Amino acid sequence: MRLSTRIAAVGAAAVLALAGCARDDNPGNGTSGGSVDLDCDAGGDGPKVGLAYDVGGRGDQSFNDSAATGMQRAVEELGATCTEGEAQDGEAESAREDRLRQMADGDYNPIIGIGFAYSEAVDAVAPDYPEVNFAVVDGYDPTPDEPNENVAYLGFAEHEGSFLVGVAAAEKTEADHVGFVGGVNNGLIQKFQAGYEAGVKAVNPDIEVDVTYIEQSNLSGFADPAGGKAAAAGMYDGGADIVYHAAGGSGSGVFDAAVEAGEGKWAIGVDSDQYLTATEEQKKHILTSMLKRVDVATFDMIQSVADGKPLTSYQTYNLEDDGVGYSTSGGFIDDITDVINGYAEQIKSGAVKVPETP
Amino acid sequence: MSTTTATPQARMMRARKFSHAWLLITVLVIVALSAVRVITGVHEIDSTGTLRAAAIATCPILMAALGGLWSERAGVVNIGLEGQMILGTWGAAYFTYYYDPWIGVLGAALMGALGGLLHAVATVTFGVDHIVSGVAINIIGLGAAEFLAEAYFKNLEGGGVKQLTGLASPTEMTIPGVSDAAADIATQHWFVVSDLAAVVAALTSRLSLLTVLVPVLVVASAWILWRTAFGLRLRSCGENPAAAESLGVHVYRHKYIAVIVSGAMAGIGGGYLALVASSGFTTGQTGGRGFIGLAAMIFGNWRPGGIVGGSLMFGYTDSLTLRSTDAVHALLLLVGIGLAVYALWRLRQGRVASAGVLGAISVGFFAWFLLTDSVPREFTGMTPYVATLLVLAFAAQRLRMPAADGLRYRRGESI
Repeated sequence: MRLSTRIAAVGAAAVLALAGCARDDNPGNGTSGGSVDLDCDAGGDGPKVGLAYDVGGRGDQSFNDSAATGMQRAVEELGATCTEGEAQDGEAESAREDRLRQMADGDYNPIIGIGFAYSEAVDAVAPDYPEVNFAVVDGYDPTPDEPNENVAYLGFAEHEGSFLVGVAAAEKTEADHVGFVGGVNNGLIQKFQAGYEAGVKAVNPDIEVDVTYIEQSNLSGFADPAGGKAAAAGMYDGGADIVYHAAGGSGSGVFDAAVEAGEGKWAIGVDSDQYLTATEEQKKHILTSMLKRVDVATFDMIQSVADGKPLTSYQTYNLEDDGVGYSTSGGFIDDITDVINGYAEQIKSGAVKVPETP
Repeated sequence: MSTTTATPQARMMRARKFSHAWLLITVLVIVALSAVRVITGVHEIDSTGTLRAAAIATCPILMAALGGLWSERAGVVNIGLEGQMILGTWGAAYFTYYYDPWIGVLGAALMGALGGLLHAVATVTFGVDHIVSGVAINIIGLGAAEFLAEAYFKNLEGGGVKQLTGLASPTEMTIPGVSDAAADIATQHWFVVSDLAAVVAALTSRLSLLTVLVPVLVVASAWILWRTAFGLRLRSCGENPAAAESLGVHVYRHKYIAVIVSGAMAGIGGGYLALVASSGFTTGQTGGRGFIGLAAMIFGNWRPGGIVGGSLMFGYTDSLTLRSTDAVHALLLLVGIGLAVYALWRLRQGRVASAGVLGAISVGFFAWFLLTDSVPREFTGMTPYVATLLVLAFAAQRLRMPAADGLRYRRGESI
């Protein structure tokens, strides 16, 4: 046993030594390190908002950060104050419920869960606090037979935003050949594909669109940059010059593939303005990004409570309410924004119907 | 009598015959691939880009399989490869960010080796069931990498709680002249010539030095394990540890070394994922490649040549499904041809029943190829797994794992 004690001691020492290797990080160095500045206490007598983040929390450069941006706007414009909570990876359902209950007991109203994973927890907690308003971004009602009067499900018309970046791709392609890389072949991501294809075909029906999904049902397709890179590289090799991805974390691989494919090959980002968080090399190849404005939905929810007319039930944020859109960072599509906005007007007026399934 | 103990001369003859067989198989595969390409007109099946992608997809799987080989040859089942690989991705990202990619590769090996050390402590010193410890390592590896990422990458440039992107890559090399010329010939779509040119082009343009290191490690491992006294002792621990101990081999020490090297290999595989296959760390980016590596090792019959073949098959089908669905359809024809050839070979051996079954399946593949235009999307994702099942079904009786693989060994006890 003395040997094992010695091994344990060496192991412990190794762990400590490793921990000692850590350097002090200095936050905010460089372009992409800084997360959203949100000062919860800066507001006045506006609504007291409970923000329950999904895994990752503030600083994820994506979904949660976007919600924080909307919150900051509410702090500035509505005098709102807030408290924040963050989900841990693999935590129990009850932990989410506890987080929401603590906020409700602390008189926070509204309480906003960021991410569909809060759907069940909100459904369990909401009936106990009928005077508090809840919202779930990307959420759904798990018990449609017993609707909750005080819950709003904030969804997005991703197909409409994808249509616009499809138009951008069709306008910019020189090979008349573009591509789409999806993370997982499920209903949500097919919505992106359908909108994108419709947008491309609306400009020129002869343009070829390659479609590849990294995984058919395994959610690991959203965290597989190597797979994203292989799929996109295949499209560039095959002659496509613009590839749009709806593949979450795998998207960085798509950007890498565009960099390797060289001059004249482009990628299109998704959810947030990915030009802002990409590396210098990648920036030269990011044509635009499809924006999903979680900040707009968050702000809207807070404002509705401030106005005394809280949102309930399913709310879809579409082009009309700036819930989806496209980015122009980098200035690569400045010459065609008129065309894109023209299609956006047609979608808003109902002249163009964007399909939700491919 | 030379019937029981092979003379050096006979051994050399056998070795030559063996290498001739491999050469013949390689030539046959290239001719068959080329024929399928010309018949179907799907040039994507072995284009330069496909081969490049296949090589990149193969390397991490091969490193995991190599890790499995080291460990299992010493009698320790290591299903913790996935966890050690995940630790490797983190190590590669951390050390590449602060130093350079080659230190990153060392960091990946170091983190993987730590995972291996943990497995060795549990299985060798404490005699924990290998599977239980392996599962625990997979869970710990994932959790530790997520924790470390959140602790160290959150505020870095290009970093976040779940990723660190924009890392530098190990040196890439292009052989000027050769690479362009070969790529040109490859796009001429000539029979056999273009296929060989595609191989040359894939190997001479933007080839990462880490990709070169992987086969070097495989050859070095094969040499150490099969051509040195140390390797013989290590393998004896996997076959009959009690006998080895009685001959003075320090079994515990050899098992420790084997499992730590195993972890380091898997860690390098993870590092490859973070540095070459993509340019950054993302939690969960291994996506089960450690397990695929384990399958490739079993497929390869615990032999270096076999694991290379198995990993290539997985890497190739994996990259093909991501690149071109037409190519997957063309692959049906290739499988059909392969099975038909195998059936004929069986018939020559006089195994009529087996040849009949193989022939029937081969006809099935031909019919599938002729009657359809594409393989359904749901199927393409399954390709690597179906291929494994097929091969395991036909080759299972020929597989032989180390005799004491996975057994708990206590010094002084007989098994």
